[in-house]
Amino acid sequence: MFDLLIKYIKEGRIKLDKSRFKVPATYHDPCNYGRKAENIFGHAYYDEPRWILDQCLENWVDLYPTKENQLCCGGGGGTLTTGYNAERILYGKKKMGQIRATGAEMIVVPCHSCHGQLNSIKKEYGMENLTVKYLWELVADCLIL
Amino acid sequence: MNQTEKVIGIEELNHGRFKTFPFSHDFCITCGLCSSSCPASGIDGFDPRMLVRMVGLGFEDEVVNAKWPWICTMCGKCEHVCPMEIRIPDLVRNIRGLRDRDKVPGVLQKGLEAALKTGNNLALPKEDFIYIVEDVAGEIAEEPGFEGFKVPIDQKGANLLTTIHNKLVNTHTEDLKYWWKIFHAAKEDWTITSENWEGTSWGLFTGDDEAVKIMAGRIVEQMKRLEIKNLLWPE
Repeated sequence: MFDLLIKYIKEGRIKLDKSRFKVPATYHDPCNYGRKAENIFGHAYYDEPRWILDQCLENWVDLYPTKENQLCCGGGGGTLTTGYNAERILYGKKKMGQIRATGAEMIVVPCHSCHGQLNSIKKEYGMENLTVKYLWELVADCLIL
Repeated sequence: MNQTEKVIGIEELNHGRFKTFPFSHDFCITCGLCSSSCPASGIDGFDPRMLVRMVGLGFEDEVVNAKWPWICTMCGKCEHVCPMEIRIPDLVRNIRGLRDRDKVPGVLQKGLEAALKTGNNLALPKEDFIYIVEDVAGEIAEEPGFEGFKVPIDQKGANLLTTIHNKLVNTHTEDLKYWWKIFHAAKEDWTITSENWEGTSWGLFTGDDEAVKIMAGRIVEQMKRLEIKNLLWPE
């Protein structure tokens, strides 16, 4: 997925406008593309999404901690579907604190579960105005046609 | 779960199934780094170190019936810091797999059974699926720069096959558009399939390896049938 987007950009098959999103943004590493991918495939996708973000945004900062020490959003492992919602919302508290600390108004994620979880819990932590965006949504929104 | 309040007799401990676990849990040095690093520590009393020790000691019924393995997201922070390299997330997933299937919490098992039976978690019939994706494609075609946009279905010999998350043909159809717009702009030769398009694989969450194999196998089958070499599987 990252490799494909990078290929399109590097080959000039898509052109992106970096000036469309002025809001401060941040990025979340999903466990499956980070620690899990490192363990299973021997490569974690940390730098690739950050390079893509650089092509789409002027103003983004990393969360802390990040990459291999990133905190899970709390929506992985099927927890969005187990019915243990109070536990899942509490799990996301640290994630929301991490996002709040950056001052970001938009968080970019390349994962359906993280996207669902962050959107579902942001209200609980008074962050209704946080935009949760798929990485490929950001790319699509920046397309110059 | 608070098993400290209950005395468990040694005759109740069972290593029968856990002894086949390949996760080196018996090497745990009880350092507690897993619990310190775990973002879920404390939720419902969750304590990964205790869970690993319970497996090591053979508290089978207790861990299989506990809520803990289902609160854990298997995010892998514990494993990342574990000095003994114990594969705690895999251990958790295997505990999940030991549950009776009718006791798997939430909609997980129901969705998985629908997927195994019909090809997708929603049991969405082929005609309805095609109606939805063509409807969304029609909306894209109305946007400037995407005139004439069509969604290629079962396109033989396409360069790229992409799977679909069931929520995108259910409550989140708007989210189908992003990848499709990128493909259009990049002049990609892509396709989706009319059957077995499901990108999620809930056997991953229920600890059911056989189900994971079946779901992945169906995608491979589609690639062979349509003679497609590249797969985008963003789920």
